[in-house]
Amino acid sequence: MALPLPPGLTHPEVAFLAEMELVTVVPRQRLEPIDLLGGKTPPLRPPHRTDLPLWLALLLKKQRRANILPPPWLHPASLADIIHRETKVTPEAFSEPPPAPARADVSQPGRARRQGVDQEGDDGGIIMSAPFRPACTADAPAGYLPYHWQEVAEALLAHAGDDVTAGTAGATVSSAGEVRGLIRDLVEVRAAKMRSSTAQLEGFGAGLMSLRGVGAMELAESRGFVLGVVDGVRRIGASVEGARREAEEEREGEESDEDMGI
Amino acid sequence: MSYYDIDSILTQSEKIPCTFQLDIPDLGYLDNTPTQPLKAGTKVNLPLWLAEMLVIANSGDAEGKSFVTFDLPPALGNDVVQALKADPRAVPLRDQSPHFYGLGTHMMDLSEEQEMAAVLRKTFVTRAAEVALHARKVGGVGHRGKGPEEGSNLGIGGAGEEFLRGLDEWERKLFRKAHDGAKSGKEWMEGVKKH
Repeated sequence: MALPLPPGLTHPEVAFLAEMELVTVVPRQRLEPIDLLGGKTPPLRPPHRTDLPLWLALLLKKQRRANILPPPWLHPASLADIIHRETKVTPEAFSEPPPAPARADVSQPGRARRQGVDQEGDDGGIIMSAPFRPACTADAPAGYLPYHWQEVAEALLAHAGDDVTAGTAGATVSSAGEVRGLIRDLVEVRAAKMRSSTAQLEGFGAGLMSLRGVGAMELAESRGFVLGVVDGVRRIGASVEGARREAEEEREGEESDEDMGI
Repeated sequence: MSYYDIDSILTQSEKIPCTFQLDIPDLGYLDNTPTQPLKAGTKVNLPLWLAEMLVIANSGDAEGKSFVTFDLPPALGNDVVQALKADPRAVPLRDQSPHFYGLGTHMMDLSEEQEMAAVLRKTFVTRAAEVALHARKVGGVGHRGKGPEEGSNLGIGGAGEEFLRGLDEWERKLFRKAHDGAKSGKEWMEGVKKH
């Protein structure tokens, strides 16, 4: 019997993977490093900030042993800015994924360079992608949605709602309700965009759909639909495509014959 | 497409209007006159699998004279194509044929109509966006946002239901996929708060 699951990851699987994201916590208690398969966790020394995986941070939060610092992009102002960009500035594209972190260049003082981007010369051009690039810590850039934005936002709102604050560090005003509303709006806006993005497949030769900046959870939700549309368009265009390809091959054949003649 | 694909089998049994150009003995039963030969010029509705075979067998004729010609089935007739050009969303495809796109692709294989491909493609893509919209609305998924476009009640009541009744098999599959995605998303959202 065939596996009943559709291709790709399901929602719970995506949520599980998102728990590997690092978030910043402010511990309330000391905790010695824990020896895990992925290496030791950093020791917790209150009140120093530490980056921990989301699952451990949530566990400590539930036990009231730590507070989670929400990533800057979860700030209401940042979310409002992203919604503005999604709806007004570039209504036909998804907002961009976060840029690679920059670091001061030792060889050229005064200039910063992107980390993890392929560059000639040093360290073989390792390209860092989502899970290995801290995108949900307190150092992450504001105004960009990381790959696991929806999962992390939902988890933080559900379990650490009192830590999601409007101010910067140390503010007391909880803005969980506002953030929740903004996240809802963002989900709706982007879902509508995902639906209308398939309309770009309308003309022949224009079958391009840019999914840059789409989050993991949105992919899990729309994968079946988008693949279905693309497959349907392929099947409708199959006979025309076949005829076109034959004609092209014939033309190429003629040209090569002429070349031979010359 | 699998050998046992039930949709493929049903598509193959759609009827195509064919005209015989020659008298053919012993085929009279196709026209309900078993004792007579089949006359030239008789119009018979043949299932797609048979019509396909006859047309393919036909093309190899040395004299270039075909013994059978076929027309487009009424589901893909001029009226329907014009209506689809005007507004793809207003045509209930299921009333034309439950396997509209399957039939369309088969007919394009036989006759290579460029325009038909463009019309079908535009229809499919335009209707797909609509299908996704309905798939998200049905069963109360969505409807919680505050944006301007959430005010519509497309999924509920008259227009939406009528549109959904007019989906052909491809679109029904698409609807199911989109709905499954939205549904599991909603289930996950509810699950986050529990544990």
